[in-house]
Amino acid sequence: MWNKDRPVPSYMQGSTRRVGIMTDVHRRFLQLLMTHGVLEEWDVKRLQKHCYKVHDCNATVEKLEDFINNINSVLESLYIEIKKGVTEDDGRPIYALVNLATTSVSKMASDFAENELDLFRKALELIIDSETGFASSTNILNLVDQLKGKKMRKKEAEQVLQKFVQHKWLVEKEGEFTLHCRAILEMEQYIRETHPDAVKVCDLCHGLLIQGQSCETCGIKMHLPCVAKYFQSNSEPRCPHCNDYWPHEIPEVFDPEKEREAGISKSNKKPLRSRQH
Amino acid sequence: MSEQSKDVCDPNFTAEPSNSEVYGSPGVPGGPSPPASQAATLAGPESPPLGPTDASLALPPSQAPSAAQPSPTPPAPAQLVQKAHELMWYVLVKDQKRMIIWFPDMVKDVIGSYKKWCRSILRRTSLILARVFGLHLRLTSLHTMEFSLVKALEPEELDRVALSNRMPMTGLLLMILSLIYVKGRGARESAVWNVLRILGLRPWKKHSTFGDVRKLITEEFVQQNYLKYQRVPHVEPPEYEFFWGSRASREITKMQIMEFLARVFKKDPQAWPSRYREALEEARALREADPTAHCPRSSVSED
Repeated sequence: MWNKDRPVPSYMQGSTRRVGIMTDVHRRFLQLLMTHGVLEEWDVKRLQKHCYKVHDCNATVEKLEDFINNINSVLESLYIEIKKGVTEDDGRPIYALVNLATTSVSKMASDFAENELDLFRKALELIIDSETGFASSTNILNLVDQLKGKKMRKKEAEQVLQKFVQHKWLVEKEGEFTLHCRAILEMEQYIRETHPDAVKVCDLCHGLLIQGQSCETCGIKMHLPCVAKYFQSNSEPRCPHCNDYWPHEIPEVFDPEKEREAGISKSNKKPLRSRQH
Repeated sequence: MSEQSKDVCDPNFTAEPSNSEVYGSPGVPGGPSPPASQAATLAGPESPPLGPTDASLALPPSQAPSAAQPSPTPPAPAQLVQKAHELMWYVLVKDQKRMIIWFPDMVKDVIGSYKKWCRSILRRTSLILARVFGLHLRLTSLHTMEFSLVKALEPEELDRVALSNRMPMTGLLLMILSLIYVKGRGARESAVWNVLRILGLRPWKKHSTFGDVRKLITEEFVQQNYLKYQRVPHVEPPEYEFFWGSRASREITKMQIMEFLARVFKKDPQAWPSRYREALEEARALREADPTAHCPRSSVSED
């Protein structure tokens, strides 16, 4: 077999960058990350520790950021990467292995029929165009007549929407739908390419923005976790663009320690969508 | 289907990254055509996905480039590399979704008109998967032309124990497999639901994580060969029972079940003495079958 600790040779890299070292620790990590799809940061840290424990119990566990950058340097030539994102509503860091070369909803393609994929695209469009980042069930269902492929009834479409929720592409709150954090992470590139004008962007981090707060004066938007970090312990929050008073409630910065202590399980209800626009 | 088999690049191809002939020099385009069994339904890069009808255009394999039928120019190495990367992702996603990796699908969805070079593409993909992910792309069944991704790393174990504080699909499956194992025979559907009730799962209730639980265990897990769901013979009104599926038998050891039981019920695995003995025997048999010693450690990782 191959030498487990041999660096991935540069002719496979396709570039002259510093070659990352792939050991069994990294390989197992990648395997498990891929298996789980999308993971929260503390799960990722546990995963990393587990991989060290299995293969190299005596080594010091590398800092997660460096660990991931090391792996990404090897993945670069394969057009995939471990991408880090942040959930839009409560600022949890999440990670997923994503394909950078994908320019379509192709990952979903094998799970869904043509008309179902088209329903997703229509829902996606409504979500992007909406003010709140949410599209109502009614509005989505009203578009069933415009779908490509086999004719779909509204009843059927309701079930398809639930299927999207189960597969973690959409999230439902009070009869409205928005993108699951996993979908945003995996499809950001696709979304930006297919909706270059309609897409909203956070004024602070310049990342794709679906939900967030906006300045009522100049209209710039920011992610809730970006707002939380920017205005942390600022008693007089002002818009970074026009300096007008920031009229919204400032959310709290996500604190993983507090989270663990409270023993909040993953299946808890998500916090109410209380952020105004 | 039999027409498709003509298109298999190499029936003996095990997709093992054992030799590096293709990687000796990146300038080598896809290797020589594999021997006799290949149908050469060649078309330009814009051709539509292959269907059964293409096999009827089969040409004898030993075509010289100057033959009457025009053959396409070999693609640039970079294109083959790109195809290998696409195939790698395709295989990873199929495996992530626990779907069958079927060779004709691979050709239709990814390789497409590069079918003639599928051998080298597959080789490169296997090599990448092995080197970067520690996974073997193995042809598990020549008859059905199924591939699967097998872990190449030792020790093999259920890594989900590393993230065991929640109850993902695997947890649900293990619950059922454990029940069947402890019973020593098939588990009636009613018994399974009694156990699942403890977790708050009912056949008629939709669950936030699992969705339609009944569909999941009677259809999806069965489709994935983790469970068998069969009618109990000679029983009226009809009743059904669950057995371990072939995939469960391949992927999950009895010792892992014992460890799962121990964790869930907070008991020593020896609280099920006969089952534990069975698990020990199986573990010994597995060790004897594969004596490549690896770093001895408990297969239950931190919790």
